[in-house]
Amino acid sequence: MRIILFNTLLCFLGMYAQGQELYVYTEPASNMAAKSIGFRLTNSLMQQVSNKEQYNFHSVPELMIGISKKSMLHGQVFLSNRNTKLITEGGALYYKYRFFSVDEVNKHFRMAAYTRLSYNISDVHQPAIDLFGHNSGVETGVIATQLIKKVALSASLAHMYAADNGKGNKFIYANNNRNAVGYTLSVGKLMLPKTYTSYNQTNMNLMVEMLGQTNWETGSSFLDLAPSLQLILFSKMRIDVGYRFPMINDLKRTADRGFLLRLEYNIFNAF
Amino acid sequence: MKKLFFIIAVLMAANGQAQITKVSLQASGLTCSMCSNAINKSLKSLDNVEKVMSNISTSTFEISFKNNAAVNFDELKKKVEDAGFFVSKLTADVFFNNVKLLKDEHLPFAGMNLHFLNGKEQTLNGVQQIQVLDKGYVSSKIYKKNSSLTPMDCYKTGVAAACCASSGMIAGSRMYHVTLL
Repeated sequence: MRIILFNTLLCFLGMYAQGQELYVYTEPASNMAAKSIGFRLTNSLMQQVSNKEQYNFHSVPELMIGISKKSMLHGQVFLSNRNTKLITEGGALYYKYRFFSVDEVNKHFRMAAYTRLSYNISDVHQPAIDLFGHNSGVETGVIATQLIKKVALSASLAHMYAADNGKGNKFIYANNNRNAVGYTLSVGKLMLPKTYTSYNQTNMNLMVEMLGQTNWETGSSFLDLAPSLQLILFSKMRIDVGYRFPMINDLKRTADRGFLLRLEYNIFNAF
Repeated sequence: MKKLFFIIAVLMAANGQAQITKVSLQASGLTCSMCSNAINKSLKSLDNVEKVMSNISTSTFEISFKNNAAVNFDELKKKVEDAGFFVSKLTADVFFNNVKLLKDEHLPFAGMNLHFLNGKEQTLNGVQQIQVLDKGYVSSKIYKKNSSLTPMDCYKTGVAAACCASSGMIAGSRMYHVTLL
């Protein structure tokens, strides 16, 4: 099964396409336009491992600000119904800085560094670290994105550190287990339109992403595959639908697979 | 007194009308329409811009300006870069009224200083197309190739050197290096 999936990914890379880099599960090395503001709502329904009929709902409203051509800041709020009621469990600040860019027509190679500072009050219930809705802590990483006419490919590498969560919810695993390496590989393809004639045309993109983590102390890992479909409307709105599931599943999570639905709206020249 | 009026009239004639009627620029680093729209909106936010016609497939933007508006190439380039991309080519339609071009001439024109890199000596009349060859307006490959077209420092620095003072340029003022197409 894993071999079939990996080969599908390789075929994807070889197929004729105009690539897209606005990935669903990861951020590319490119930046938002300076002085633009974006609003995002990311909703996930994650299936519980212990009870396959139970799904945890997570919602993350997000405000994104393009500070300059090279840097941007996001503010995120984490809502979850994991403990029966939908409550605010925390938030995060995400900052990205593009430090390298070589552009040609329909092409670029870019690199960016990012950091996410998260705070969460929920109980720690899994050894896998997730700073986007489960753990307090810091994540710092590097992203490299290559856009060539036909394909957009992106990879990232990050260090993640889990602090104790708020409201007395400590990190319940050994202290040495607080560090992990996160890594991702993403590819995107523009399916529609076949030719561009207007900004009002709906763009449809297909993405396939690999999302992984290895605990620095235990060496346990997970590696998820996350295919997704994206619609871009009027060249300023995004609707993303995705599904992620584990291919390697040694590093345990309480809900390890599920759906994602995201809505995004961008305002250019906002300030 | 008559001399003073005459000088003022000449200066007004030289700087009065907008002599750059249209700019066409191609951006690099993008393929998607949302990226193109970011550049489109960024260019439209300039006060002197009348209209922007975008071609998403070729990443080109045809910019027309308001009547008598001054045009600044660096301002256009900054708007593309603020959107997150770069300029790979910028050409301008320029109206010349009996302008004499000498080799390596530094010409104050339409509110900007132009240095014609490789044109032969001639008198320019009517609408001509020029391309800006400065750093950030062409690919680094083309920029390096063009470095041999002039021995002057200003192509590397983008500003007038002290040697240009004899033709009336203030040292340190912005110099655009262009070629006739």
